[in-house]
Amino acid sequence: MRKILVIAGIVWMEMWRRKTLHVLGILLAATLLLLFSINVSGLGRIPGYVKETGLLLTWLLGWILSINIAVRQLPQEEKRGTVYAMLARPVGRGELLLGKWLGAWLAATGAVLCFYVLTVLIVGGFGGRFGAVALLQAVSLHGMLLAMITAMAIALSVRLTQEAASALCYIVTAAMFAFVPRIPEFVTTAAGWRETAMLVLYTALPHFELFDMRRRVVHLHGPIRWTTWTLILLYGAMITAILLIAAWLAFRNRHFSRTAKD
Amino acid sequence: MASNMSAAVDIQGLSVTFERGGSSVAALDRLDAVVPEGQVFGLLGPNGAGKTTLMHVLLGFVPPTAGQAAIFGTDVRRAIARQRIGYLPEHPDTYRFLTARELLHTAGRLFGMRGPALRARSDALLERLDLTAAANRPAGTFSRGMLQRVCLAQALINDPDLVILDEPTGGMDPFGRLQIRALITELKARGKTVLLSSHELSEVEMVCDSIAILYKGRVISGGPAAALVPAGESLERFFIRTIEAVDARAAAASGKGGAHA
Repeated sequence: MRKILVIAGIVWMEMWRRKTLHVLGILLAATLLLLFSINVSGLGRIPGYVKETGLLLTWLLGWILSINIAVRQLPQEEKRGTVYAMLARPVGRGELLLGKWLGAWLAATGAVLCFYVLTVLIVGGFGGRFGAVALLQAVSLHGMLLAMITAMAIALSVRLTQEAASALCYIVTAAMFAFVPRIPEFVTTAAGWRETAMLVLYTALPHFELFDMRRRVVHLHGPIRWTTWTLILLYGAMITAILLIAAWLAFRNRHFSRTAKD
Repeated sequence: MASNMSAAVDIQGLSVTFERGGSSVAALDRLDAVVPEGQVFGLLGPNGAGKTTLMHVLLGFVPPTAGQAAIFGTDVRRAIARQRIGYLPEHPDTYRFLTARELLHTAGRLFGMRGPALRARSDALLERLDLTAAANRPAGTFSRGMLQRVCLAQALINDPDLVILDEPTGGMDPFGRLQIRALITELKARGKTVLLSSHELSEVEMVCDSIAILYKGRVISGGPAAALVPAGESLERFFIRTIEAVDARAAAASGKGGAHA
């Protein structure tokens, strides 16, 4: 476990020293303040609008950050050549993978938490409020979603180049958000093998929409039942574990060999 | 596997085959070698001979296709085999955003080191390799020579019993090469084993106790450095003559003219 934390620490240090998070935080704050200073059709003064925009931006930035941080970890190690020094130590491939995933996930989640805090402060400045329990549930489910996305990005980056893994991860996660919740609509107009295929997809593909509590939070509908919250978190943990196991299976027998000269 | 207990590295029938473009390439071909403990062992060979592949098998980067290899009696496929190894790759690089001290602390923690022992070891290495003044600077600000030294420091953080150096003096100035040779001598004096791959044959002659010449994935000549090369002949001349002899035998056996690539 200690080695996993050391490797995760390298990821956090890189994010901090490269000031990626600082830039994104300033960008988020500036964007929010700019948007809320524009009073279009009187919307700028409505707390619900402010909340919705702030949370949307937080989700967008979290999505981008989690993929970008995770997808570069293994390819950059190989490109720099640091993977050789790392694997030359008593570090198993599984430990390296877990350390990279943990570092990427916690870095992305930490940044998203800061964005939530910023949003809460700005919304508060406009007279809005959040339900504390619902917000806590929303943030934790969002964190679990980021765990799945970073695991997917790490898994894809084991065998693909950074650019290919990044593009595929964006496409797949966007499709999960947009397509999976709408499968029941397609099933009603399908028949035969198409209907069966749709149902199989609906069952097999991860349901990212379960982790999105923004509407409840914005419209103050109150928290979900703790049993439901727990089940969704367990579901997310299961998907994350499946993705990490798949990544490990692809990574454990991977050849690392600089054979340009020899 | 029957282990040779006085051997730092014990290789038996080791083969590594890569699939490239639909055909198989034998990078190592039933290679047998023993690196005795406490010696400086030189691995020579032309480009493509298998030196780096052999090192990569020992370090667990590449799984063997056949045969076995052990480090101090532990199969190289187990991560624990690397607990007593220090490795400096041919083109060393590191995390440029970390300072020299942070790099050593990170490397040490991966070996289970911590606290005052780790700090003392880091400080000693920084001083030994003339990096004390730059200890708190990010590695991204280092010159090439400094980068190489900090990578060497990382390789030595755990006070390894086996140090694997892949072309350690490549691209170094004479002072740097002198420093490496002094370090190798120091390691040997402390009873450490050094496995060294190099194209600098004059350096190999100066520091190595034993030498093995690899060609086309096999050891074609090897033994104590003092006894291997005939009197009056340089290592370079012996090396070239040995390779040419193998090519000539292969050409005679196949009935075709063969050219050394």
